[in-house]
This record gives sequence, structure tokens and C-alpha cells, in this order.
Amino acid sequence: MPEITGFAFPNDIHVTWSLMIVMYPYITGFVAGSFIVTSLYHLFDRQEFKPVARLAMATSFAFLLVASLPLQLHLGQPQRGPFVIITPNPTSAMAGFGILYSFYLLVLVLELWFVWRPEIIDRAKRSRGFARVFYSTLALRTYDLSPEAREVDHKAIKILAGIGLPAACMLHGYVGFIFGAIKANPWWSTPLMPVIFLLSAAVSGIALLILLYQVFARIDGRPVVATCVSALASWLWFFLILTITLEQLELIVMAYEKSESWIIISQLLTTRLAFSYVTVQMIVGGLIPLILLAVVVLMNRYLHDKVRNTLATVAALLCLIQVFAMRWNIVIGGQLLSKSLRGLRSPFEPEIFGREGVLMAIALFVAPFVILWVFDRVLGIEEPEGGVADGHGPPAVPPAGAPAGSHVP
Amino acid sequence: MEHARHVFRIVLVVAVMLTVVLLARGFLVPKSYGMYGPYRYANVAEQMNARTPLYAGAATCAECHADEAAKRSAGAHKTVNCEVCHAPLGAHVKADGSVVAPPIDRSFTLCARCHRKVAGRPAKFPQVDLDQHVNAPVEGKVCLQCHDPHSPKP
Amino acid sequence: MSDCHDGCDSSRRDFISFTLRLTGGAVVMVAGASALGSSEAPKSVGEAYDWNEHLWAYLVDTTKCIGCGSCVRACKAENDVPEGFFRTWIERYVVGMEDSHVDSPNGGMDGFAPVQVGFVATKSFFVPKICNHCRATPCTQVCPVGASYRTKDGAVLVDAESCIGCGYCVQACPYGSRFIHPATHTASKCTWCYHRITRGLKPACVTVCPTQARQFGDLKKDGDPVRVAIEHDRVQILQGHLLTEPQCYYTHLDKEVR
Repeated sequence: MPEITGFAFPNDIHVTWSLMIVMYPYITGFVAGSFIVTSLYHLFDRQEFKPVARLAMATSFAFLLVASLPLQLHLGQPQRGPFVIITPNPTSAMAGFGILYSFYLLVLVLELWFVWRPEIIDRAKRSRGFARVFYSTLALRTYDLSPEAREVDHKAIKILAGIGLPAACMLHGYVGFIFGAIKANPWWSTPLMPVIFLLSAAVSGIALLILLYQVFARIDGRPVVATCVSALASWLWFFLILTITLEQLELIVMAYEKSESWIIISQLLTTRLAFSYVTVQMIVGGLIPLILLAVVVLMNRYLHDKVRNTLATVAALLCLIQVFAMRWNIVIGGQLLSKSLRGLRSPFEPEIFGREGVLMAIALFVAPFVILWVFDRVLGIEEPEGGVADGHGPPAVPPAGAPAGSHVP
Repeated sequence: MEHARHVFRIVLVVAVMLTVVLLARGFLVPKSYGMYGPYRYANVAEQMNARTPLYAGAATCAECHADEAAKRSAGAHKTVNCEVCHAPLGAHVKADGSVVAPPIDRSFTLCARCHRKVAGRPAKFPQVDLDQHVNAPVEGKVCLQCHDPHSPKP
Repeated sequence: MSDCHDGCDSSRRDFISFTLRLTGGAVVMVAGASALGSSEAPKSVGEAYDWNEHLWAYLVDTTKCIGCGSCVRACKAENDVPEGFFRTWIERYVVGMEDSHVDSPNGGMDGFAPVQVGFVATKSFFVPKICNHCRATPCTQVCPVGASYRTKDGAVLVDAESCIGCGYCVQACPYGSRFIHPATHTASKCTWCYHRITRGLKPACVTVCPTQARQFGDLKKDGDPVRVAIEHDRVQILQGHLLTEPQCYYTHLDKEVR
């Protein structure tokens, strides 16, 4: 039984939305954030993001595949999960999950297909047996890689990115709306919530890509392009500033207006959430990366590559922690205060094992990286050395002695 | 368009998938869903029928227990439902009409729950400070030794 | 040992046969509705009950509540409410000029013990709470699958066969009336004893209240005392600024109550 200080409504003492509901916006945040990065290249033609664009798209896809799992694990009746699509209630934001998720999945899979067509066709031609059947089915038995076909692909990618960007933002923004539109809970109810969620999603996505880009580059033996890292760091800094500004603004306005709920919320922040909000989210995850990234961005031309990479990596790690803390503080924090506005319950301790436990959360976080690894094996994330041009910028020049079977149109 | 053949193919694949999903959904929606709103209307009748009522009210008790009912109506407990102190009707008369002797709570706790002097009770309500009641202290002693529950004084 | 005369057996039989008849009617209606589908929609819910003829409302007089907890116990017995969860509960307020104290030990199920407060208390009272069966309720608005809905006669119910247990309604209720049932893992709350009110009975809590602090009435019935009180007396509702239009009205509600 949790301990209550003050008075809580008798039914209010249970934390219904637990660790899985913290993981869900965390994971969809990566989906949206990675897609923002890949759209910066595919939609807005920002060349400095070319080295990371395909990785970002694959990352978005990997996390998207895992995104519905925390919800399924959380449901009291998980076998009824599909009811959200069969009998959705049009006034419910949560019912939007079915449509938004399916739609964005469709758009992303289509865009992946167009971007990776050359590799799919290449592997279809080079493989035998079951693998050949697999790849040729994936290619829908068309093998046209002529410049005209690639032009068509290029147009399709741009259109899909144009549709996919708002779709990804909606997929994560609606989660913020789910919280922001609950007038019953004063810690959640604010019009800023969808915006804050989306901006911190961008932070988490870019931070993850700073890390993944360097890891994958090291594995593949490619150089880490300095302009890419500094571009990622700049955008991370930009989104971090926006996120923290809005989060603080919400608090400042609440404190200034001192409406009914401020007494219990200030108690919540100074007692139950003192560590996770002030220490982790604001200082360790907010102030320190702000300073580190300021150095990276403002002193960019004076920095050695290794220093820039290190600073950006540390800042990115701290940002990942900040975004998780922010989800935790909102989801769990909002349930620690009773709707009576007179009581707080003791901090929530998630179970270790079990459907909604810590181990499950870790597994959900690790799973997309496994999917990325499989993706790399099946399709290859980066273009192969001397591989096909995809219509952006100058085609890659194949090195002497290119591996047998690689195509140059 | 020769070079867009792959586009047509993927569009076709997507269209087929969507049609299948929509058709499947049509079969899976419950029949009474949406009749009066976005809910399963059949549930209303199910809720009406969810359980047999357990409590019946003092008037039903009076049909068999007229004497006790008359005594109660003349005394201070006239607004107190019999089932507050006694078991609900459902624990006494079964669905097939058979009668089971209900448990009767004669303990101190029962009376104290309403009549112990506690902050919050209206001032006009008969409450007892148990340290000062007649043969004090009466904490834990059975009230029924002095009071008739169906017509307690005053 | 009973003093009853010949009328007793028949009245017991009447009560049970009335129940069985309604049950049979409802079963036929349900079977008909599901077999025939929407093409032959029945206009009423059961043989003897037409939901178009009623609009239920609840009235609480906080000056009368003595905090005995009979309502909480009766509700638990009538509706099989699980331990530690409450479809109705009682709150005690002890209020002074400087401070106030609120408690609800086990929802008030076992009554209240005397309490010591650290300030000078000038007034104290009990406030029964239940689901407010709001007309513009946020809980049905947010249910993703339409498991939570409002009937034509004003009761807000949960379809336990459709509920997926997501807990959104629990978060959305400003009054803390809802909970996730620990055994069925679906949302659960006060139903105004729908299985009783559709048979001409009152909710269990109203039936057992020894001081008639809780009252239940029909806004469509002329001369109904609850309707008269709501129409002519000064009444209050909880958290009115949220515009949920609760149908549980209070008289003599203090500013301290939320």
C-alpha cells in the first residue's frame, strides 16, 4: 500500500499508467525525431545530413515496429487491443493511435521501399534460392533502375517525406494531446503539452542519431563526417533550447497564476519529484547539455574533430536521459498527486519482472537496435561502396576494383 | 508510363491490403454497436440484468415481520432501514423462495458506528460520549443490554 | 420465527417472480437484439422498462450524513466491489479558520473514529461521494473503444466486454470515481445500481441510508422530491468549473469540498 501525505481520493492511490506508458512516448519520440532528421535531407535537401539520412530512416522504422508493444503490454485486456481499430470512439485521442500508427507505418514503409529499391534489386539479382524469392517479392518483380525510374523514385520519396513528416509529428503529438487534454489533472492539462512532447521527441531523435551515427560509422569503417556531427549538434541545441524554454514557461506561468493546483504541484516538485525533475531533468539533462552544445556550436571552427565528437556524444547521452526523465515526471508525476489536490502518494517503484517491469522496459529499448542490426544484414543501411546514386547530389565514384556484382548505372 | 510500373504495383498492393482490412473490420464490429451512440447497445440490457438485487428496503421486510416493523415505526429508528443492522434481503430469502436465517449483528461495534460521538456528525443527531454514558465507561459493552434496537430510547 | 400471515409467501414470490420476469424479458431482448442486428432495433431496453421515460438524478444533503458507512458497505455487498476500491465513499472534513483536515479511512466503510487535529476546528461534516454520472462527462469522451457510455436515462456505464483496460477514463475522471478492477482488469465504477433502478428500486446506498442524506430521483417525474429540490432549492455540484454537468447534486456543500 502506498503512503499518502494529506488526503487522496480512495481510488486515486493507484498508479494505473506505469512504466510502459513512460516507454511508449519515449519510443515514439525516437520515431518522430529520427524522421525529422531524415526529412531534413530527403525533403529539405540539407546536404550536411546525407551521411546520416538512411540510418535515421531505418532507426525510425526500427523504433516504429516496437512502438505498439508497450501499449499492448499495458492493457488490462491486451487481446482486445484491436478494438481500437474495430470500434474506435471518434472523440477519443487514444483511438487515434490505430489510424495514426497504421498511416505512418504505411508511409514510412513506402518511403523505405523507394529509397532502398536499388539495394533490394541488387540483392535480388545476386542471391539464389529462398533469399532470391524474398528479395524479388520485395522488389515486386520490377527491376527498373534507369535514370527515369530513379527520377520517379526521387519524386515519390519527396512526396512521401512531405506526408510522412506531419504524420510522424502527429503520431507523437497526439500522445502529448492525450495528456494535455485531461482537464482533471492539473499537472497534465495545458495546451503546450503536444508541443513540448514533440520538441523533446526531436531532441531524443537527434541525440540518438548522434550516438548511432558514430557507432555505425565505426562498425562500417567509414569516417565520421564533421559537418554532419556539427549539424546534428546545432539542431539538437536548437530543439533543446525550445524544449527547456517551454517546460520552464509552463512552470513559471503556473507559479505566477497560483491557481488552485499550484500548492500541491509545488509540493510534488519539491518532495516526490525533487530528484527526477530538478536534478535529472533540469540540471543534469538540461543545463549541462545546453552548455556543452553551446561550446560545440559557437566554437565550432576552433574545435578538433575528436573534441567535437566527444562533447556532442556526452551531450547526446545526457539528452537521452533528460527526455526519459521528462516522460517519467509527466506520466508518473501526474499520478502521484490526487485529484483531491490535497494529497500526494509515495513515489512509484516499478516492478522488476512482470509485464510492465524494468526488465521489459530495457528489452523494449534494446529491441529496435536488434532490428537495426537485422535490417543491416538484410538490406544494408548505408549504400555499398561505389553503390548506386539515388538522385541526390553527384553519384558516388566507384573505387578501383569494386566488388563483383555492384551496380553503377 | 513505362518507368513508373513499380509505382503502380506498390499502389495496387496497398489498395488490396486496405480493402482486406476494411472488409475484416466490417465483420468484426458488434451488431448492436452504434445504434444509439458509439457503444454496444446490447450492453444496456446486460447491465439491467447483471445481478439480482440484494437489498430490498424496509417495506419488504415489513411484509413478513409486521410486529418488528410497527415497533420500529413508532420509535427513534423509524428512518433506519432494517438492512442496515440486519443482513440484506438477498442473504435471507433465496431466489427459489427458501428462507435462511440471516446473521444478526448484536455487537457493540454496530451501534458505536453510528452513535459514538465523533466530529462531523450533525449536532442534533443522538451521539454518545462513551466515557460519560450512564454506566460509564461503556466502550466495548453490549448496548443491547439496555437498549431495544427496534425502538431505542429516547 | 416469523409473525407473518398468509400474505408473506406470495409477496416473497411476487418479488422474485417480478425479478425473473424482467430478467426473462431482458434476456429475450438481448437475444433478439444480437440475433436480428440493427435492422430491428427495439425501442425500449426491456419489457417493463423504457429508458425514454426516465432521467435519473442524485441528491445529497450533507447536513444529514452521520458518517456511519452503511452506504459503503451496502454498495460493496450489492455490487461485489473489490477490497481496497470504492464505488462510493465518505469523506470527513474538519475545518478551522487556519487549516482543514480531510480523511476517509477505508472509504468510511467501517465508520469513523474520533480524530485529533492540530488546529482549532470550528466546523466538521461528512460528504458522501459517488460517480457523478455527468452529462458532459470526460470519461466517455476519452474511452478509445466506446466501452464507456451514457444511457438515455442518464446513467454512465462501462461495458466490461468491450473495455480494453487502458485506464484513460480513470485518468480523465476529475472526481476519482473510477478504478481498474483488480480481477477483470477492466474499468469499474458506480452504476447507480442500474440493475436496481431499472426495476423500480433505488440504488443500494440510497436504500440503506439511515438518515436519508442520499436521495435518488427522476427528473422526468412530476412532483419527484429530488426534482423539486434541484429545481427550486440552492444546490451545488462538485468542480463546476470543469463543466462536466454532474447529475449528483449537493445541498449545503462547504467551500472546502472538491
